[in-house]
Amino acid sequence: MAVAVKTQNLPLIKKIRNIPKEEYYVPGHRTCAGCGPALQYKLVAKAAGPNTIFLGPTGCMYVANASYLCTPYAVPWMHTQITNAGAVASGVEAAYQVLIRKGKWEGELPNVIVMAGDGGSVDIGLQAMSGMMYRGHDALFICYDNEAYANTGIQTSPTTPYGANTTFTPPGPAIPEGKKLFPKDPPQLVIGGHPAVKYVATASVAYPVDLMNKVRKALNVQGPTFLHIHCPCPKGWKFEESKTVEIAKLAIQTGMWILYEWENGEYKYQHKPKEYKPVREYMKLQGRFAHLQEAHIAKMQAFVDAKLKAPGIPVEIPVPPPRAQA
Amino acid sequence: MAKEMVLSGCAASAQAAKMAKVEVICSYPIRPYTALMMELAKMVANGELDAEFIYGEGEHAQLSVVLGASAAGARVLTGSSGVGVTYAFETYSPIAGGRVPVQMMIADRALDPPGDFGSEHTDAMSCRDQGWLMGWAENPQEAFDNCLINYRVGEDHRVLLPQFVCQDGYFVSHIPGKVLLPDQSQVDEFLPPYTLPHPLDPKHPVSHGPQIRPDQGTIMDLQRAQAHLDAPAVIKEAIADFNRIFGRDYSPFVEEYMTDDAEMAFFIMGAHTMTARHAIKHLRSKGVKIGLVKLRFLRPWPTQEVAEALSKFKAVGVVETSTSYGGAMRGGNLLHEVRASLYDLPQRPLTTSFMAGLGGEMVPLKDFYYMAEILSKMIKEGKTKKTVHWVGFEAEA
Repeated sequence: MAVAVKTQNLPLIKKIRNIPKEEYYVPGHRTCAGCGPALQYKLVAKAAGPNTIFLGPTGCMYVANASYLCTPYAVPWMHTQITNAGAVASGVEAAYQVLIRKGKWEGELPNVIVMAGDGGSVDIGLQAMSGMMYRGHDALFICYDNEAYANTGIQTSPTTPYGANTTFTPPGPAIPEGKKLFPKDPPQLVIGGHPAVKYVATASVAYPVDLMNKVRKALNVQGPTFLHIHCPCPKGWKFEESKTVEIAKLAIQTGMWILYEWENGEYKYQHKPKEYKPVREYMKLQGRFAHLQEAHIAKMQAFVDAKLKAPGIPVEIPVPPPRAQA
Repeated sequence: MAKEMVLSGCAASAQAAKMAKVEVICSYPIRPYTALMMELAKMVANGELDAEFIYGEGEHAQLSVVLGASAAGARVLTGSSGVGVTYAFETYSPIAGGRVPVQMMIADRALDPPGDFGSEHTDAMSCRDQGWLMGWAENPQEAFDNCLINYRVGEDHRVLLPQFVCQDGYFVSHIPGKVLLPDQSQVDEFLPPYTLPHPLDPKHPVSHGPQIRPDQGTIMDLQRAQAHLDAPAVIKEAIADFNRIFGRDYSPFVEEYMTDDAEMAFFIMGAHTMTARHAIKHLRSKGVKIGLVKLRFLRPWPTQEVAEALSKFKAVGVVETSTSYGGAMRGGNLLHEVRASLYDLPQRPLTTSFMAGLGGEMVPLKDFYYMAEILSKMIKEGKTKKTVHWVGFEAEA
């Protein structure tokens, strides 16, 4: 049986001035000033180019982006439920496999890209994402991580950091740190259980060339790939709109975010600081951590210290989970 | 050459899907519909059917996979039963509202609790108001035919609606019956290749399903409702063509059996129609003037056809194989729609409903005789005493 094989080789970008000028995520949307997710969307779309289909599960990048009659997508885009982006993407890819095989559509297999928030990736969307990875569909699943359910009014998600003040984890006398749980690790969830996946990377809006090259590498790979992109959210994290990139950089400098690629079982690091700054430097700029006491910040530092040893090594949570405490 | 075979409903549906040249299939196991997927999996493995066979990770994923594939331009099929049908519920409105004409074969199964393999229409009936075309097959032949008819109607650009193509679990899905398999050329003449006005195609970028404001919602609901108003004409065309090409004798919406001089009738859909026909033959031999009216499409509901068919009787017994707990009739849902269809008539028949075959129980001949007795009594008394009769569970009628 003939198989539609992707032959494209999107070239890597050397310098920021070589970034293509064409936009496939154009102005006209309604995201907040300083929106990290919108910034990465623009970069991802540029990197992917015109032969692309985006699947957009419910989340900020649906609700604030895709308003009727002024959607920002210059390539095909379809809304999916927050639950099922991975499955819908699987169907789109499968359709193109069969349509190309039967000669009903001519051209290179399109880049099928899921643009999911943290909830749509590793919370309610986890099952569909895992199904897509397991079955080996030639599609890229992006988790744009703004570390909360932001469009519904900043509720905790599985990637919301320990100690964050969200509307579901408000600090109070009984629960002084706000969020007591430590986050899931999305790339490790993908790497750990999906042998069909050959390329996984983390990226950040602070490093656009690195981000775009990871998109292109992921799209050049045949089979399912995953990108976890750090996207500061001024509204949810409570910082000034002008500081999105600064916050993103500080995350990397403090070890709160690690930039790496995982390719065929090998890890490679990017923009790894020679010396890490204390997490306090990152946290003090954000209102969501303003209520924390020294002991809480120390717990966060211990968590990050353990995590920095290497990606893929299980991190022991420095505090017992709430159920164990009870 | 067309050939006659003996096939179960599931096997017949699989043959129909193969002849419809379905391109993307998404499976997940649940009894009894699973047999459909097992047949299709064999066809793909044997190279008889060139389709992508995707193992969904659940029914919600099944519907999501075929939504994506259909929106990208492939003819698709999925299916389910019982709690599988309800697990996927979130996807039904987006698929119908997005006007993506996917086909889902439902082989009915009772909903939990507790676990029960038996057939009951409640699974599919619970999803009836999402905008899908919907109807039941009485036997494997009709299951085969309905697959093709629904693709033709649902994919028609004047309609563009997904289709629940239902058959009773076991009674149809697993009991073999005669099926006339047509020539591929007949199917090709009846069913044009699948096209979508605006598929997800990088050569012609479109956005599907952007966020709207509340004031933009009504028009979309109206359009979905309009598609159901436009569908009947397309169904009539399709049935006329189907009858011509395949030599069948279907009525588009309601079929009548022994109704010519009948005073009373059963109103029924699906597998138990077959038993009802036998019961009617027997009752006729005893001089009881009874017939039946079988519903072929539940959605769109053929209001006028139902009214016309039922208005000539003195009493109508609606055979319900689904529940509507706490509903106006205290029984199932069909009587609600039947009564609504009759409301504006100057002369209405007496109507009641019979809860029968719930949990997958057989509806034997004696149950139909019992129902006929109640209808006779209603005519004699000139009134409807009860709107619901739980057949086999009532001390007095």
